[in-house]
Amino acid sequence: MSDAITLTLMTAPTQTLVADCIAADRFAALSAQAIAALPVVHGARPATLGDFFRVRGERASVVRIEGDCARIEAIGSGMAGGELVIDGSVGRDLGVAMSGGRIDLRGNAGANAGGAPAGAARGMTGGEIIVRGSVGDEAGARMRRGLLVVTGDGGRGTGKGMIAGTVVVCGKAGSGTGRFLKRGSIVALGEVERPATFRYACTYRPPHVALLLRYLGARCRLDVASAQVTGRYERYSGDLAELGKGELLRWVGE
Amino acid sequence: MKINGVAIEDTFAEAFTMRVARLLITGRTLGWAREAAVKLTGFATSVIGCKCEAGIERELRDDETPDGRPGVSVLFLTMDKASLPEQLIVRVGQTVLTCPTTACFDGLPEAPDRLPVGRALRVFGDGFQASKVIGGKRYWRLPVMEGEFLIEETFGMLKGVGGGNFLILAADADAALASAEAAVAAMTGLPGVILPFPGGVVRSGSKVGSQRYKNLIATTNDAFAPTLKAVTQSQLPEVVNSVLEIVLDGTDGPSIEAAMRAGIRAACRPGVQTITAGNYGGRLGPHHFYLRKILG
Repeated sequence: MSDAITLTLMTAPTQTLVADCIAADRFAALSAQAIAALPVVHGARPATLGDFFRVRGERASVVRIEGDCARIEAIGSGMAGGELVIDGSVGRDLGVAMSGGRIDLRGNAGANAGGAPAGAARGMTGGEIIVRGSVGDEAGARMRRGLLVVTGDGGRGTGKGMIAGTVVVCGKAGSGTGRFLKRGSIVALGEVERPATFRYACTYRPPHVALLLRYLGARCRLDVASAQVTGRYERYSGDLAELGKGELLRWVGE
Repeated sequence: MKINGVAIEDTFAEAFTMRVARLLITGRTLGWAREAAVKLTGFATSVIGCKCEAGIERELRDDETPDGRPGVSVLFLTMDKASLPEQLIVRVGQTVLTCPTTACFDGLPEAPDRLPVGRALRVFGDGFQASKVIGGKRYWRLPVMEGEFLIEETFGMLKGVGGGNFLILAADADAALASAEAAVAAMTGLPGVILPFPGGVVRSGSKVGSQRYKNLIATTNDAFAPTLKAVTQSQLPEVVNSVLEIVLDGTDGPSIEAAMRAGIRAACRPGVQTITAGNYGGRLGPHHFYLRKILG
């Protein structure tokens, strides 16, 4: 048993690599050989994780991935616990259908981070995804529970159709952010375009945002300005075309 | 044993096992947090009449609270498991929820016994309430006229200690009061301890039951009442003309001991004759705090 498992990208995939086998909780019971033997799909062909990554360590629920994984999809798919730290960018479907644990991405993520598998009604149902970069379209789409934090910009349709949970976007949130939101919170610290079906409620200091941002600063070492922690936010209720119990909180200053 | 010429009687304080919760109340300013805490802990001096005992443990700096605002730590004790959530739900709902700018957090996160205080109070939101899970803890957001009230879903409960005490036997009322004030000042802010009575001081210590009224569970401690020295089996020396008691509740025995040590040392002032303690012969309470051992 090791303190952590490190996957180092040795052979860059020439096509899209679907590596939905990479999940911290799944690795907790596996030897290094068993991890290397896990199946992946390269292009449309079956392969193993060991064909691309060197595996160091075994039987640990803390997993570190080194290398540029921009062509690798579905990392952390269905993850239920443990911690996954990724040094570099990843492709689409990061943490899709995740239910627990934490993914800490030091790079950009493709579309549908924390979202739902194709055809599924629910996206992530628990856990935390911290993206220290930007995300593609529909990050957090149909999220049921959990936390997605994006320090950079959000793509189009961020938090689209969220059922509950929290999405924080520190940079610019893309168009259609929060559209079809049922419940849940989208906290926009930067520029955000309000969907027409959201209605302004008030400007106030939401106590849970202060708590959340302090938590992110302390636990995840995110650089959050104190003006954002204690600041005022415009609250927009929505999506009124849906259940309307969600909110878009837009930071407006101290 | 004597401290500053004050005799320390060879006896012990007898205390009881109670159930304790710690609440962290924060506010926009320390003043508002204190307002809520003072109301929350009002009429909570003794389980005899109030069904609970509560007090402010200490003030919290903004870097000691979950939401980064100034706050107050409150200890809340009852005699049994069932009545602690009952008391908390009623009191938090009427005092902290109503107080501007406040939020309410659990101060015993490691305690396995959880009291669903926030979960019960959430229904005040009439269906408009919402929950948030932050760092593995669930919080409830209740929409209120001011904005939002935030409360943690559950609060920890531990076995605590109630009824630690010592008595100050003084030559006159002024000396007794000055001694009690000095003791309270020395104990205020010590971790894990509250002094539930007004200003931390009790002037009307009680005995169990009544000599005359069958339905009373507690009546005046006539053995320590100076005006009754001539007509009762008094335990007061001739020179003693006033007695005040300090009662302590806490999260654990060592915290009570540490506070008693600080308080008794501070109480040994001019005009004080003896420091003693209240007990029931060791038959009722499992916690015995021997004065000389504590001070030794």
